[in-house]
Amino acid sequence: MIKKLITRRKLLKTGAAATTILAAPSIFIPAYAASKTVNVWTYANFLPDDFKEEFERDTGIKIRERLVDDQGKQFNLLVAEANSPTADIVTIAGHRFRQFIDSELVSPLDVDRLKNWDKVNTVYSEADWTLVNGQKWGVPILAGAEVLAYNSDIVSAEEARSWDVIFSDKYAGQNAYIMQDFMSIVMLYLGYDGNMIGYDQAKAAEAVNAAKAFLIENKPKVRKYYDSGAEFQQMMINQDISLGMAWSGPVSKLIMDGFPAAMTIPKEGSYGFVYNYNVTKNGPNSDNAYILLDALLARPEIGANMTKASGFISTFVGSADHLTDIERAAGSFTQEELDALQFFRADNNELKYSLLDPAVEEVKAA
Amino acid sequence: MSSKVTPDSGSDPKGFWSWLVTNKIYQSVFGFLLGTPKRQFFLLAFIPIFWALFANLGPLLKMLDISFYEAYPLSVGKESSYSLAAWSEFFQSRVYYIPFFRTLAFSAALTFSALILTYPVAYFLARHVPQNRQMFFLLIVLIPFWVGEIIRTYAIMILLGNNGAVNIVLKFFGLIEQPIPFMYTSFSLSFGIVYLVSLYMLLPLYSSLEKIPSNMNEAAADLGAGAWRRFWKITLPLSKDGITAGCVLVFLISTGFYATPVILGGPSSTLFSEVIANTFSVAADRWPSGAAFSSIMLITTLTLAAVFLKIMGRGGKGLLK
Repeated sequence: MIKKLITRRKLLKTGAAATTILAAPSIFIPAYAASKTVNVWTYANFLPDDFKEEFERDTGIKIRERLVDDQGKQFNLLVAEANSPTADIVTIAGHRFRQFIDSELVSPLDVDRLKNWDKVNTVYSEADWTLVNGQKWGVPILAGAEVLAYNSDIVSAEEARSWDVIFSDKYAGQNAYIMQDFMSIVMLYLGYDGNMIGYDQAKAAEAVNAAKAFLIENKPKVRKYYDSGAEFQQMMINQDISLGMAWSGPVSKLIMDGFPAAMTIPKEGSYGFVYNYNVTKNGPNSDNAYILLDALLARPEIGANMTKASGFISTFVGSADHLTDIERAAGSFTQEELDALQFFRADNNELKYSLLDPAVEEVKAA
Repeated sequence: MSSKVTPDSGSDPKGFWSWLVTNKIYQSVFGFLLGTPKRQFFLLAFIPIFWALFANLGPLLKMLDISFYEAYPLSVGKESSYSLAAWSEFFQSRVYYIPFFRTLAFSAALTFSALILTYPVAYFLARHVPQNRQMFFLLIVLIPFWVGEIIRTYAIMILLGNNGAVNIVLKFFGLIEQPIPFMYTSFSLSFGIVYLVSLYMLLPLYSSLEKIPSNMNEAAADLGAGAWRRFWKITLPLSKDGITAGCVLVFLISTGFYATPVILGGPSSTLFSEVIANTFSVAADRWPSGAAFSSIMLITTLTLAAVFLKIMGRGGKGLLK
């Protein structure tokens, strides 16, 4: 029998060769393009951890999640990757569909490939806004609203019935809002249509200029123009602010966690939105994207877990049955509040944002 | 059963290398590359030149290129032409040049504040801490810088928030009844940036102060110079290189801060970096504006730094000679 000596040099060389062979697939095939992966660009807490673990275990497909916090940034990233995106699924608010579709960044949704499509509440799956160019484009997953959120130990429910409270001297320096979103609400508050449906250039400019002037006038009363839901939660917990305009999801989370927060749709109204998972055009693993979407819709408990993790309302049938009373109450509104709510619409987005984006910068610079 | 030990090539240290150096291709390639001192120099300089061109200069040139596009990023099937629109946009609206000048003034004030605040620390460290303990003290000063900028910025939030440590202490001693709103003001922003950049001021100052021979001050004292005169005539001029390097470094860094102003700044302290970032985050093809604004800021700060270096001078010339 021949006994071979393994020297240190030999061991190192063999180790290096083995590492190279093992690493070769990831060198030649980027991680996002590996066949057993699905690449999802989504907001924090939209995909619950337990669902991800279960999905990866059951299918062997690894979820590569990239967090986004803004529709505009996501659009720019996707445009920059153009014909060969690194994402299979992106998270698009219903009123932003058209922008992604016109730029040929997403594919029409093939609902026949989703055997659980009927698990989406028809209020969302059959809504008018889901159809663009006669086709469906995304799976509605979570719904939310732009709300007036407040610390219920400091601000009374009566005071919070109107957006007036945000501009009152009493709470000067104790409020915050997302400028881009709040502009639409201020237009509504001032008697204009924040969606600008049917507006021509002159009328749209009048609405934006009125909102801009109003926000500049009230600038000394605002504490912070913020960007993300987490920032709003942080400011509320630190008691840097007592009220503000916020997305309903992060406020629901605060309520679920026992913070004395409350939210309302003030009488002047506000806007709602629905987040969707959309399949990208030319994504590296579109087949896996459909497998993930179908798995997500499979059980209402998953929708409930998405609500618990994000605070937004699940669009899946029966998901509310898996929430506790507090969790249900944290995201619900009265009929009066719902009557004041309307959904963002994309019909006149090009005109709207061509005026609104510079106006936002002007308010910030004023 | 008998066993036979067979040494393989791996156990022979000369095996591979002797094969390599006698290999004809190896000999011809490296014979050519190392054939003349000039070629040896280029071989040695290749990596640093590659690094400078592709890692540093390349992205800047690409940014400059994008700044002349009419629109970018382009959607599928669309084309863009070259234009000066993005550059002229800056000069046409106060929305852009007000935050720009605010940023320059703010950075200059912060640089001066950082100098005033860190000079005594560097002086104490270099001149009064025994040499064998200086590294230990330097380590203590450096510890906060082992964590990232964002973490340190959040630490400042915990410190300055309405429920933060400063307000809690002031309340505990009965100095205030209601919390002082430190956060989201120019104060919180200045405090945060000075804290974050202090290291870049401290290290050059320490380095220059530490090199000043102690016998110069002793000689001046023997000749009757008082403490203030010794500082003004000896220590300050001899630490000029550290002051210059620290100021340039801090000024250039503070004009580019983005995360800290976003987290700590308020509605009236929007800096130019936020304006630039907005052009990349809105869902429109406005990258050329962002690239043009970045280029304008880069050119301006480098020019100001060059003017400052000229004013400060070297080798006994300029200010503080």
